[in-house]
Amino acid sequence: MAFEDKISEHERRSKKARAMGSPKRLKERADAGILNARERLEEFLDKDSFSELGLFAHSYSPADSEKSPADGVVTGYGKIDGRMIAVSASDFTTLGASSAITATKKYGHLSKSAQKNGIPIIHLGECSGARMPEIMGASGIGGIAAIGSYNRRRKVPYASAVLGQSYGGSTWNAVMSDFVVMRKGAVMAVSSNRVTTVATAEEVNDEELGGWMMQTGVTGQVDLAVNSDLEALSAIKRFLSYLPSHNGELPPVTDVPAGSGGEENILELLPEERSKTYDVRKIIKAFVDKDSYFPLKERFGKAVVTALTRLNGQTVGIVANNPKFKGGALDADSCDKICAFLALCDSFNVPLVLMADTPGFLIGVEGEKQKIPGKIMNFLQALELCTVPKLAIVMRKSFGQAYLNMGGGRVDEMAAWFTGEIGFVDPAIAVSVVHGLKYKDDPERYKQLTEEMARGSSAYDLAAPFLAQTVIDPRETRKWISDMLEVHRRRPDGGIGEHLMETWPLTL
Amino acid sequence: MAKIEVKAEVAGVVWKVVTQPGAKVEEDDAILILESMKMEIPVTAPVDGTIVEVYFSESEKVSEGETVAILEI
Repeated sequence: MAFEDKISEHERRSKKARAMGSPKRLKERADAGILNARERLEEFLDKDSFSELGLFAHSYSPADSEKSPADGVVTGYGKIDGRMIAVSASDFTTLGASSAITATKKYGHLSKSAQKNGIPIIHLGECSGARMPEIMGASGIGGIAAIGSYNRRRKVPYASAVLGQSYGGSTWNAVMSDFVVMRKGAVMAVSSNRVTTVATAEEVNDEELGGWMMQTGVTGQVDLAVNSDLEALSAIKRFLSYLPSHNGELPPVTDVPAGSGGEENILELLPEERSKTYDVRKIIKAFVDKDSYFPLKERFGKAVVTALTRLNGQTVGIVANNPKFKGGALDADSCDKICAFLALCDSFNVPLVLMADTPGFLIGVEGEKQKIPGKIMNFLQALELCTVPKLAIVMRKSFGQAYLNMGGGRVDEMAAWFTGEIGFVDPAIAVSVVHGLKYKDDPERYKQLTEEMARGSSAYDLAAPFLAQTVIDPRETRKWISDMLEVHRRRPDGGIGEHLMETWPLTL
Repeated sequence: MAKIEVKAEVAGVVWKVVTQPGAKVEEDDAILILESMKMEIPVTAPVDGTIVEVYFSESEKVSEGETVAILEI
């Protein structure tokens, strides 16, 4: 046979590279129920759609060349649900998927190619940190420095899964992403527990350093924690389903599931007493397309919900105060969370709906320490920069600066539910401030003064001078949003925004 | 099994304690309800778990960031 030697050598090299790290390490993972890099890609991508980049790449260091198949990261192009993506999957069985010179070149190539060609980029990450001794010394660290590898202008969606130990490179990939999912038990940090302990003499454990509760609840750098690799892959597919492949396209439109829009129960979910709180997530689920509610950063800054949803099959981003947490009062974390979400929606042509039920921004010493004035203005500036269609609904309370941030005066259309209350401050609080009176001091007089303070604060008082375009029954929410989105299609520009937030900071 | 502290996110006065030691709770379930900012605001479980101890009872003042309960997860 012609080229027999060449064919045989090619097959030998391919097989060796695809075999990844040692059989012992692969077995340990399999026994622990953790997928290896190539299994993850098989599960993630459409069948036979993977086109690999760098199969024959290996370590830059001659000493490691034989034991570094693909240099510890499987990269390439493939399809999910028929859509082209660029993808990397860290191979932890090869030198701990450590950050190294050749691997960094592969990531850089993937990133540039994805952005140039308008396809989303996905990282299925694990990384033990920098590969030592390869990147020790000037030529080592210098070898991984390249202009442009971290140049991200939100041209294409980025998503990452943190699926094991993630230090250095895979952590950078994650925090640069629009969506991060983490398997419980994984850990994401700058450096490992061991390096941190040696460097700082601080005794830490993995969960404290960067476990799922820390990253989803305290830092908000991870959007969602799941129990398995498969759930993580499925979450990334779901996230991408709401977005276009690049910022020059509109998001895909899906069929509307049967049973969508059963919003009659909104009045049952909304308490009549203004002092009672409720969970706004139930209200959102009641009017969006069935099963389309997909919250981002759900465990972080809980006083606000930021969720991708669909209405009539069209992607809609919802920002809603959630009175169940902190009474819906906006804190520094909520502001950061909203800014990240506005940057996502505006960059990928997703219309926004802001839904207000908030007593205001949470004031106090703690808030000032967290720079809440700056956060409030970041939020307002972000909203001003958004050029996608913007709608706002005043559900119940919307007071003071929070009224302005939740869309007052700066959206395409504003509606108030007939339960809306709008003013500078909650009338019940104003009575205590102005008259120094508490309810228990004189209930009758307190009630009378509160009623006086509340005058001119109704939904109709907002609609009379045309500060809101209409007042609606909460049960009309789905119809009102659908109608307004049909009007605000930005037809002269084909629905494509100006993307003024494309360089907004990548993390909170 | 790890124990975690459940902290109040806002200051207020305890209006009602709605759970007790030994009770199983899911993430976001109310442990007690505070009266704050003229509203009834729950202090919720940050994750699924079992209540080990609740430190406050009705009418007691709670400061922001104060531990109100211990949860075993």
